[in-house]
Amino acid sequence: MDKKTDFDQTKLEEMVGVPLDRLKPKRVHRNPELTLWEKIYVPEVVRGLGITTRHFVSNMIGFVAPPSGKKRSIFTVYYPEEKVELPPAYRGRPVLVAKADGTEKCVACGLCEKICPAKAITIEALENAMGERYPYKYTLDGSRCVYCGYCEEVCPKEAIVMSAEYEGLAERDRRQMIYSKEQLLRSEESVKGRLEYIRRIYAKWNY
Amino acid sequence: MFADMIESVAKILFIFTVNLGFFAPILGWVERKQSALMQDRIGANRADVGGFTIIGLFHPISDAIKVIMKEDFIPAGAEKLLHTLAPAISLIPAIITFAVVPFGGQYELFGHHVNLVIADLDVGILYVFAFSGLATYGVVLAGWASRNNWSLIGGLRASAQMLSYEVAMGLTVIGVMMVYGTLKLTEIGAMQESLFHWGVFLQPLGFILFFTCAVAENKRAPFDMPEAESELVAGYFTEYSSFKFVMFWMGEFLEIVTIAGLVTTLFFGAWHIPFVSDSALVSFFHFAGPNGAAVLAMLVNITTFFVKVCFFIWLQMTIRWTLPRFRYDQVMKLCWKMILPLSLVNILITGLVLLNG
Repeated sequence: MDKKTDFDQTKLEEMVGVPLDRLKPKRVHRNPELTLWEKIYVPEVVRGLGITTRHFVSNMIGFVAPPSGKKRSIFTVYYPEEKVELPPAYRGRPVLVAKADGTEKCVACGLCEKICPAKAITIEALENAMGERYPYKYTLDGSRCVYCGYCEEVCPKEAIVMSAEYEGLAERDRRQMIYSKEQLLRSEESVKGRLEYIRRIYAKWNY
Repeated sequence: MFADMIESVAKILFIFTVNLGFFAPILGWVERKQSALMQDRIGANRADVGGFTIIGLFHPISDAIKVIMKEDFIPAGAEKLLHTLAPAISLIPAIITFAVVPFGGQYELFGHHVNLVIADLDVGILYVFAFSGLATYGVVLAGWASRNNWSLIGGLRASAQMLSYEVAMGLTVIGVMMVYGTLKLTEIGAMQESLFHWGVFLQPLGFILFFTCAVAENKRAPFDMPEAESELVAGYFTEYSSFKFVMFWMGEFLEIVTIAGLVTTLFFGAWHIPFVSDSALVSFFHFAGPNGAAVLAMLVNITTFFVKVCFFIWLQMTIRWTLPRFRYDQVMKLCWKMILPLSLVNILITGLVLLNG
């Protein structure tokens, strides 16, 4: 990760990835000589017990009287009751972005259909009264989609993005997993984080 | 005569209720919940009755239902009789060892002498050793009768480990016997009225050694070589299912309680609150009349004793979830090369101090 990314032979200013000095392996003492204090064993055991007891007591206090507003130390998420806040890099269900008037941004160029490795996307294009192409039918087969995000990467109009939706992706009947254009339309507001994210990460490709 | 019988039955029922009815089921829950809190997790809390979970306290019940419903499996080629007998052989000693552990003082109640211990044996400590030695048989038989290589190795390890540590444990307690001059656990308890006469202050080294040996004797981590789930599947109870499996677990939990009770009795003042003698308790409760005072003092004794027991149960659980497992040669080395010589040194020092003092 020490190399700078230079896809177009021009060095970028900003570093990508973890800095080199942090990646350098620290010296690990595999077989250290124990001091006498450690050889007695009991004090070190007591120290270890102290660490676990500290965790136990602090969690016990938090258990009996949960601190309000403070950062909690137990990170277990009760899934159906609590939801995880996913980072923008998460690739959930691919969705179509709608314009302000509620129609899709997609111009039915067919790039996503072409690049989709799982052949999950099918587009039937038409022209509207203004002479612009639009997807008359946009079908995404959820049972075929592999959530690779190529469609989003290739899309010139930011019309299809990977949302953070991770619920309801599986069905008992595969026929219900074939999503139509209407089912996939989401407002631009709901996928804002992801849009900003893809602008950032794909910018270096300079399409 | 009749009063004696009532007294014995009441005490036995009490200990059975506390041990089998309270500690045995609840300790499974305690173990899960405590390990969760120590590791910054939440722990069992999903079993609910009518929408109430009560911090997972229904889990022992649901576990019990699950276990009873399970198939009682005996592997082909197993020694059927011994395979069935082994869990009982390891559970029964665990239950009856508690008989000699005193949980209160001696009082006059309605003109009848009440001694809060089930069996006040003159050889109290030896009785404990005898029955913890018997528990070895259950483990070894379970390992042998299962006809499973993992079980057999687990049983062999258990026999070697438990026999070794029994020797060391016996020697560590000799220091306590020398200091108090008796084997009777009630007398040892009664002598620890003052805080400065607690065994832990008179025998600090003895306490550490005895506690280590007791944990090792109970085959719990860091000494859980016989079960060693990363090496031996589940060790000697690999081939056990259903209620027989639970009998092993109950035996283990009851041994935890017994060890906690023994450590409390031998080293931590038994049923005494520091600096408060039994007669002082009775005179403190004089407003309730002689019998009422005795009853109240008994209750205070029992509460104190079981609070201490709970603390040592907690300590054993903490040790179990803190320390990693020993290697097998380390277990043996610790026993024969460290604890045994140290306990001999302890006996020597105790003898010298007693001679000069």
